[in-house]
Parts: sequence; C-alpha cells; structure tokens
Amino acid sequence: MAKTNPYHVIPATVYEIIEESPTIRTLRLKPDSPIRFATGQFVELSVPNIGEGPFTPSSSHNITEEMDITIMKTGFVTEHIHKVNVGDRLGIRGPYGKGYPLDKFRGRDVLIMGGGVGMAPTRSLFLTLLDEIDQYKSITFLAGARTPRDMIYKDHIDAWSKIDKVNFIRGVDRVPEGESWNEEVCLITKLLDKIDIDPTDNPVVVCGPPIMMKFATMDLPKYGYADKDIYLSMEKKMYCGFGQCRHCVIGKYYACKDGPVFTYEMIKNEENIWE
Amino acid sequence: MIVKADELYTFFQNCQAGLGGFQEVILPRKREEEGDGFFFTRLEGDHHYILDGYRSIDPVRLLFYYPREQVTPATDGSYKRLLLGVKACDLKALQILDKALINEDFVDPNYEFWRENTYIVTSDCSDLSPSCHCNLLGGKPYPEEGFDLNLTHLDDQFMIAVGSPKGEELLQLLKENVAFYEDTPVAQSSRDKIRQQMIERLEKQNAEFAKPEKYEEMRQKNIEQWIEESKNCVGCGGCTNICPTCYCIIVNDETAEEPFVKVRSMDSCQLHGYARVAGGDTPRPKMYNRFRNRYLCKFDYMQSNFGVLGCVGCGRCTEVCVGEIEFREVVRNVLV
Repeated sequence: MAKTNPYHVIPATVYEIIEESPTIRTLRLKPDSPIRFATGQFVELSVPNIGEGPFTPSSSHNITEEMDITIMKTGFVTEHIHKVNVGDRLGIRGPYGKGYPLDKFRGRDVLIMGGGVGMAPTRSLFLTLLDEIDQYKSITFLAGARTPRDMIYKDHIDAWSKIDKVNFIRGVDRVPEGESWNEEVCLITKLLDKIDIDPTDNPVVVCGPPIMMKFATMDLPKYGYADKDIYLSMEKKMYCGFGQCRHCVIGKYYACKDGPVFTYEMIKNEENIWE
Repeated sequence: MIVKADELYTFFQNCQAGLGGFQEVILPRKREEEGDGFFFTRLEGDHHYILDGYRSIDPVRLLFYYPREQVTPATDGSYKRLLLGVKACDLKALQILDKALINEDFVDPNYEFWRENTYIVTSDCSDLSPSCHCNLLGGKPYPEEGFDLNLTHLDDQFMIAVGSPKGEELLQLLKENVAFYEDTPVAQSSRDKIRQQMIERLEKQNAEFAKPEKYEEMRQKNIEQWIEESKNCVGCGGCTNICPTCYCIIVNDETAEEPFVKVRSMDSCQLHGYARVAGGDTPRPKMYNRFRNRYLCKFDYMQSNFGVLGCVGCGRCTEVCVGEIEFREVVRNVLV
C-alpha cells in the first residue's frame, strides 16, 4: 500500500520558453528535485491559484533534472500557461499512467504518427528512442499539422532528419496564402503511402487530435498493421492522475492509470473512444 | 451483551465529554422541521437522537470523504471519533469506497485518516424509508460484518455485537462504565424475529421491482430506452451528490504562494462539463448519455473495477430527485 501522498507537488522554475506556433509553446522547466518518468507517462502541471492540467513531457525520459512540456492554448488553464514568463514557478505532480512499452519496440521498425500538438508526447518517445537508437531497426516519424505555421519543433527537424536510421516526413493539410512549404501537402494519413515498412509485428504509435487518431486507426489495418500493434495516446480529462476521480474513464479502463497509451485491441469495443 | 438504552445513551454522552479519549461523537438526529428523516450531527444538548430507525438523509460517505478537503500539503493531527447509528447500506458503501480509495494504485490520505480514526457503531434498521431497497442488491437491513460494534434495539435495551479489534476496545470501555448482561436465548430470538420482519417488509415494499440480476444486459439496452428513462432528468447532479458510493472529484489549486495547495471537491458525472477535454469535445454530450453513465458506472464499471456492484440500494437518489425519477423503475426497465 502506497503511503506517500499521491497529490504531492514538486515546484519547478521556467528557465526557457519556445514559441512553437501561434497557439503552441514549449516550457522548459527545472524541477526542485529530479522527476523520473517513463516516456509516454504524463504529469499534472499547476499554475498557482489557477489550476492544473495533464500533459505528457516532450523531453527524453533519460533527462530528469529538466523537463520540456509543449502546450497548446485551448482552455482556461492553458491560456494562463501561455501567459507564464521565464522565472515563474509552476508545480508538477506525477508521473502517472503507463508509458510506451519500449521492450516491445526494441529490434523493430518503429513508426510514429504525430498530428498537431500530438507531436509533443511522441517527441519524448522519439528522443528516448534516439538515446538508444542501436536497439531499433529504424524510426519513421510522420508529422502532420494544419498549416506550415502550425508545424512545431521546426528548429530541430534538420538535425533529426540527418540521423542514420531515422526517416522524418512532414505534411500539412493546406498552405495558406503568404506561407511557404516545400514538403508534403496532404492529410497525415496519406503520408502512409510515402513509407515502406513491413507492418508485421512492427509497432505504430499514434497521437493527435481525436479526428486524426480515428482516421489513422481506421487506415492502419488497411496497410497491414494489427490492432495489437497500434498504440494510441488516449488523452482524456485526467484530473487526479491515479484512478480516483473517474473523469477519464473509458468503460472499465482509466485513461490515467491503465493508459494513457492503449493498444487499439484493448479499447476497440469500448464506447465513444474518439470523442 | 445487553445494556439498558438510557445507560448506553449516557455512556455516549460521556464519550462526547472525553471518555475513552474521544473528541467527537456523531449520530443521527431527527429533523425538527417538517418532514421525516434523520441527519448526522454531533451529540450535543438534548435533541431527538436516533440509534435505530432507517438510513439517514445524508450518506455516511460525507463524514469520510468530505465535499471539499485540502489534500496537499497534508494536515497533521490526531483525532478519535465515534460514529453511531450507521446502517448496513452505508457500511457496505464504505467497504466499496475502501476498494476505490485505499488500494495498490493509490491511497487517498484524507479518506484513510478518517477511516482509521473513526470507531463505527452500526445498528439494525427498525424502520424503512419508502425508497429503501437494499434487498434487491443482496443487502440486509442489518450489518453482518465490517462494523466495530453493532446495536439491535429491543424495547428499552440494546443488544451489542462485536465485529473488530476496535470493537473489542470499545466493548471493554463499555464494560468498565455501564452495567451489562449476557445475551439470553430469549433476546436472541426476539432479535432474529425483528430482523426477519424487516426483511419481509423490504421484500413486500420492493416486490414490483424484483428482477433477475442480469446487470450485464444494461450495456446492451437500446439508446431509445435510455432517452425515455431520462426524459425528466434536469441534470442537477443531486443523485451523485447524495449517493453513498459516488466519489468523483476535481482538484483545484487555491494559493498563489508556495507551498502549492491542492483542494479536492466533489464533482458529478451528470454535469455537462464533467468529461469535457481541452478543445470542447466530450464523450457524453447529451443528458441521456450522462444519465446512462451513472447506471452503467454502478452496475457495470464498478463491478469490473472492484468486483462489487456500486449500488447498495439506499434509495437516496430517488428521494432527492427533482424530476421524481424512481431509480428502481429505471433499473427494472433497462433490464427487461
């Protein structure tokens, strides 16, 4: 029986802020004490007197003294997170949930699909895989965004693309007037036509807005991926983080403690999973 | 063991005054304004307190899992309190909450604190509310295990049973302070007779709702039936607030300075914003989705999560409902 307070908060200082897009920023945080997590797990980030929300770190889990968290402005708490300045103090509690099962990924061709701010958790996975890249056959990252302006981690793509065994393909849904883009213009699911991976027993990790997750999950079996190999980040309203508050319940599962990463096989018979 | 009712009452008053190291004695008191019913209150002054009767208006859950509590930083302190007149349904609800809130994944520190520091004296039901239906959920109008002491009211006496080491401790204190008599076969047989009468009253009261327990069918029921059943629901969340086994909460940050203070407050799955995620999507946008969720949570999800049904049949949700929705009728209609 755990005797520690599950709500215990570790204060952290914001030491850098990267504006990734008009609505997405990355906070670089130094927690007062190191936070160990497994990539794919999430934390609750608090803004004092405002509230907290669940976010999956976007840095490698091998780094515990610092933590990057990429956040889209989309609600009450995140609007305040977008007003935070360097030097401000925030609170972190966690980590919670189960991470990506790296042991099942090792020795495989790993495919990652990240749409919009869904690139944030998958960046943590990607960077963690890079730390031990000799363990994997290949890493393919399909990145999608609505427009070029919405594409995040722009500053890192060049370096990541040059790494041996890494294939990075980016696509945007459309290119508005005044923006330039010389990579793919299509929905992220169409990027699957650009790759050549044997789907047998190879994992695919999907994270993005519900509509993208839904269509990716419908398309992947057509390319030969098995339900057991499709890993979905089912981010819900994970309020407490450990199976108490029930807000994130998907039928008998809790997104917070049984997930947030589920295989499609586990949850395909539950109701309203895409909403 | 048997003690005189008035002497037992005096004993509890002495406990409120500090006997046995107790800091507080809480028990049901009859409502003095119009209407029937009891609510839990501190034993203070000369009021119409009830040790038997039927289940209180407020669920006992609220004395272990307060509607609003600071969860971090932890508040220190010791406390010893005596809780009297708890009914079998509420005790069963606490046993369900024990599984939900003290388990291998996490322990809610406040719930655990109140659970450890409370001595629970239950009592047999000597009356029923019209909404009582514990018998439909496998319950009885008297507790069988999980209490510290249990009381059965027999005329001007109480028959006392011990159910735990804490109960043994209480019994010792009682013996040191109150004249007591050994159980007699006559007393035992009148207890059994009263209990049997209460079971029969419950069965009669709920005869029209009795159904085979095929709760797994609930998930398959067509959505039209749920729309029909929920048409009088206004989505106020009263049913979840008063339910002895509901424990959904939200967590708030309430200070601008460090240390970070977290306060948890009750929430309700019947409210529209409950499962809404950033961006505005919610898995249960319609009232009937949320209405159905409450029933499935009790009869399906909690069964999967904890191996027990999430309903104890106290009937409070029927009693509190402004839309006059009869819980037993809904359960019957979605199982047919």
